Amino acid sequence: MSGPLRILVSTPDVPLYEALAEEFEAEHPDADVTIDSEDFSTLITNAPRILSTSNPPDLIKLASFGNLVKDEMIIGLDGYADAYGWDDWPQSQFLSARVAADGQTRGTGSLYAVGPGFGLTGVYYNKSLAGEIGMTDPPESVSEFEDLLDRAREKGLLPVMVNGKDGGTAFLLQNLQMGHAGTSEPMQAWTFNQPGADIDTEPTVRAAADLQAWGADGYLPDDVNSIDQSAAPIRFEEGEGVFFPSGNWHAPGLDESSGAFGFFLFPPMEEGGPYSAMTAGSNLAISARSEHPHEAAAFLDFVQTDATARELTVRLGGLIPAGPESAPMPTTERGSAVSDTVAAFQHLVASDGLVDFMANATASIQVSTIVPSIQSLLGGQITPEELASQLEDGYERELGR
Amino acid sequence: MSANSAVEPGRAVRERISPPTRAPKKRLPPKIAGRSMVGLVWAGPALVAYAVFVVYPFTQTVRYSLYDWDGFGSARFVGIENYRRVLTDPQLAGSIGHAFVLIVFFTVIPVGVGLLCAAALSRVDRGPVGGLARAVLIVPQILPLVGAAIAWTWAYSSEGAINQLLRAVGLGGLARPWLADFDLALPAVGLIGTWVSLGFCTVLLLSGVGRIDKSLFEAARLDGAGHFRELTTVLIPGVRREITVCVTVTVIAALASFDIVYVSTGGGPGTETMVPGVEIYRLTFLSQQVGQASALGVALTVLVLAVVLPLQWLGRER
Repeated sequence: MSGPLRILVSTPDVPLYEALAEEFEAEHPDADVTIDSEDFSTLITNAPRILSTSNPPDLIKLASFGNLVKDEMIIGLDGYADAYGWDDWPQSQFLSARVAADGQTRGTGSLYAVGPGFGLTGVYYNKSLAGEIGMTDPPESVSEFEDLLDRAREKGLLPVMVNGKDGGTAFLLQNLQMGHAGTSEPMQAWTFNQPGADIDTEPTVRAAADLQAWGADGYLPDDVNSIDQSAAPIRFEEGEGVFFPSGNWHAPGLDESSGAFGFFLFPPMEEGGPYSAMTAGSNLAISARSEHPHEAAAFLDFVQTDATARELTVRLGGLIPAGPESAPMPTTERGSAVSDTVAAFQHLVASDGLVDFMANATASIQVSTIVPSIQSLLGGQITPEELASQLEDGYERELGR
Repeated sequence: MSANSAVEPGRAVRERISPPTRAPKKRLPPKIAGRSMVGLVWAGPALVAYAVFVVYPFTQTVRYSLYDWDGFGSARFVGIENYRRVLTDPQLAGSIGHAFVLIVFFTVIPVGVGLLCAAALSRVDRGPVGGLARAVLIVPQILPLVGAAIAWTWAYSSEGAINQLLRAVGLGGLARPWLADFDLALPAVGLIGTWVSLGFCTVLLLSGVGRIDKSLFEAARLDGAGHFRELTTVLIPGVRREITVCVTVTVIAALASFDIVYVSTGGGPGTETMVPGVEIYRLTFLSQQVGQASALGVALTVLVLAVVLPLQWLGRER
């Protein structure tokens, strides 16, 4: 093969991908893989520019597709999915990386990206503070969760640490919305841009009302709107907040304070109801100008199926591998936040409870609509009804509907 | 930088124009024609660079602004639709309004306070005290804006320096997460700009004060003028040109602000601190609406010129 297989990922991913590349080279002695990195937001904002250069990387990490499919800058993977047998695996793991022929609707059509593992959202808890408020088991319904929040506040503790400056509050809104709807289907259809999907509905209004009440009742930090995603985990780790809704990408960091933090899935509205959580693959796509698409696809198959690669994905990436049903699930340390997230993920894969993030509905809905609207909601500037209609308006404006 | 280039050419042109007014009108004397040719040769490299890096990209921006284009795929001609949206979309129009509010904090306060500082410092000898004061004032100007904005974000947070200070002096009731407050976020961001601009304005005005003939101050004092009268009759008219430069530079900084707002609030809470600079960035890099972003960029340029050109005219020496 002429020249190395070049992979461009975001900076925090480098240790994982370098280890994966080393494993891959050990398996395939003639392979030569180099890993380059960009800071995450630079990578995301510049992906189209990077892919349109004359000599782009063979594989690139993507958070969303934007117009890359429409502009034919990445290739479809259906042929490889067939050749490697990905088609026979549980298909929900590939859903969000499928794009229809219109270049926009997701969840159906050809596959455009796959990767070693998945992110997963839920709620972290500080075990000692949770003990103080008498929490023995994770809550099984939203009202049980609200009881815990109330007890925390009465003890003078901050119930929930969350970053409202850049959208951590959207996790709460989305979970509450799916809880009120009793199903994640309408939300999933909306994030996938399916025709006729609409978010300006009763469950969204009720979810927004709940979230606004949580703010007004003192369950959220006073300065929620100015806390960002780097400050929130630090403050939570320092003991500010009993709960912290976030994703498994924080689990390895929180586990450094050995076993002080646990993780549970956001509870359903009623006890016994369906659990759902947001997930996104740490996905790589193959550049349309790649000279080594077959080698790139071989690497993608390797990271999903090789036992060592899957173990590295959990340990170094804090991500959970999916892959074929029969694949071995890596072992994790008992009582760690990482092991909680892996167990939760397996439960959700089995129950089809994985949904995409609202933030991925369009390229910029998170920054142009979701974050400002939730900030206004928590600041009391708009009503829950207005939040629901603003979300839908922002969505339709970006999709040109 | 841009302000200097906006001011200096004007002056250069006036200085060059004055001899011909005394010369015969019909034909330029050979000496002067030769000199302007030489001038053109000297200015040539700069003109070429200006044409390639400023004029050409600007014409491209104007062209993009007439299309619906994501920057890569096929573009669709939409005429003035993008401009119509700049004026009618509340979020886009609101961002322009916020930029005007920032002028108060980037320009009005720094120039006003800067005049007072310059007047005070001009009385202090260039000894250690004066030198130290100058150094302290200029520090914000040499710090990278991004670093400064991050430091201010910490200072403004719930447990940050500003709230600690308020609590220490018994004003804990006023303590709040400043950048998360819907009414106060924009002024709070503006004050970061004040902090940055103040040193620049003071040092520039101070150099102007140094040029004023000392006898004018003496004459004013002999006539019985107090500090205030001295400020209004001698100092301010004496630094008119420096004031024009300060106002021009800081007004442009306010209208085209990006770094401070992007780092400190990202435009939030809600859209309370959204400014055109951040909006253009969002439209280009996140929404991939290059056409719409270009239209806002052109509108911003026209706006800056509409504000700055009258300022240049007002600041002319008569």
